[in-house]
Amino acid sequence: MARQGELRVEDVSKRFRVNGSDLLVLDSVDLSVAPGEFLTIVGASGCGKSTLLRLIAGLDTDFRGGIALDGKRVTEPGLERGLVFQEPRLFPWLTVAQNVALGLLNAGLSKAAKRRAVLDHIALIGLSAFQDAYPHQLSGGMAQRVAIARGLVNRPGVLLLDEPFGALDALTRARLQDELQRIWAAERITMLLVTHDVEEAVYLGDRVVVMAPRPGRIAASFDVAQSWPRDRTSASLAGVRSSVMTALEATIAAQVFDTPRAAPRPMAAARDFATADGRV
Amino acid sequence: MRAAAAAAPPWASLPRGGIAFLFPLALLALWSVSARLGWLPPQILPAPSEVGSALWDLAVTGELASNTGISLLRVVEGFAAGSALGLLLGIAMGLSRTTEDYVKPLFTAFAQVPTLGWIPFLMLLVGIGEPLKVLVIAKAAFVPVALNTFAGIRAVPPIYAEVGALFRFSRWQLLQKVVLPAAVPPIFTGLRYGLTHAWNALVAVELLASAEGLGYLLVWGRQMFWLDTMMGAMIVIGIVGFALDRIMAAAEQRLQRWRLA
Repeated sequence: MARQGELRVEDVSKRFRVNGSDLLVLDSVDLSVAPGEFLTIVGASGCGKSTLLRLIAGLDTDFRGGIALDGKRVTEPGLERGLVFQEPRLFPWLTVAQNVALGLLNAGLSKAAKRRAVLDHIALIGLSAFQDAYPHQLSGGMAQRVAIARGLVNRPGVLLLDEPFGALDALTRARLQDELQRIWAAERITMLLVTHDVEEAVYLGDRVVVMAPRPGRIAASFDVAQSWPRDRTSASLAGVRSSVMTALEATIAAQVFDTPRAAPRPMAAARDFATADGRV
Repeated sequence: MRAAAAAAPPWASLPRGGIAFLFPLALLALWSVSARLGWLPPQILPAPSEVGSALWDLAVTGELASNTGISLLRVVEGFAAGSALGLLLGIAMGLSRTTEDYVKPLFTAFAQVPTLGWIPFLMLLVGIGEPLKVLVIAKAAFVPVALNTFAGIRAVPPIYAEVGALFRFSRWQLLQKVVLPAAVPPIFTGLRYGLTHAWNALVAVELLASAEGLGYLLVWGRQMFWLDTMMGAMIVIGIVGFALDRIMAAAEQRLQRWRLA
């Protein structure tokens, strides 16, 4: 598997049918992720960022536009694209090692190579002592690390992460962010992480893309020039954070007037609303 | 035992299996007292000791073992056939809405006719020999197994299937690695129901049409007014049924170690 990990998303639009009417959830999204880059996408809930990840993963192939990894068009799920969901989605009847090994079921490796890959990736996430544990014996953070190992075990060209730490407490989240960063630094796999947490997006990303909701589209993009290891409290990260926050708030501000008692709203926003909510 | 046993009665410190004997022993005591004091005539309720000696007689003559063996063999044959068919149908209906649309209405109607209701028709069809027993038992096991398997497969969370899709599982891999393991608990509920129903149906069909087996022993005891034999047969039927259920429970626990581990 040539794993360069250059991801291109070109003019991708996606509609959902909701109660018989069309709802535009992604509106000509263009995105390109360089090999080995860590790109984070931040956006309010409902901006289509998770949908975008599902399209890239190949779980949903009903869209317009093109998605390609290393020049190969995405038409179905593939082992060269790993995905980590918000919840670990481990199989409760399998041990940690068996859960990770399931990712290799169709990898075409020899038994010995599979075993080695599984053990290597469990070691990578620091859970070697738990390889025979069942998911219900793990904490939420440990389970999510196993999910990351399962996502990586095929050595994908790109690892997609859909709010992977959203359900964890702040302390665990910070530790797992560091862990993910360490893994990325060691493996140099292209990462595309979606989150609604600006702090997380800026701390982890080489580049932060802000998405606007209804319909989901790219609103802004920020480079995070800081090298690793990063200090969460550094002034330059704080600067990027506040720019991202401002951009994010601008995308939400256009949406906030949805209460009936809001002040008269700009025409554009009003029209936005009619298309988004009027048809639901 | 839990730590909070401070205020519990003295027998609460028995192992859990021991507690299970409390009610049977109390019942036995009540039965003995009633027989001793003649609350019911002995023709209707023989003393436990007489039932015991009747069972002993049946045991030493080998009748008990041969009749139990015959009943068990019938139940094993019927249950194997019925539960296998039930599993297949349940899986087929669970995996495919088309199959469900074609088959489920007829199946539901079929299930509504009680097992005993099939016996007269089946008697005309296959006579009163062994095939009748096996068919009746198979039908009794088939329905709960098929229903629970179907419901169990439908209840598998779709997010599991998505993980399978992500790793490019084939349909067969999905069934084998995801759907069936996820559906093990409801499938086993169906198998346990099925086995209980099978055992009940066996006794019923032996009551109606048989010259051997535990159900036959029961009806024969009644006809001869050997109520001690009849009650002995009831006790053995209960114990064997209980043992069968325990065996299924043990198998289930083994398959679901991940829940307890």
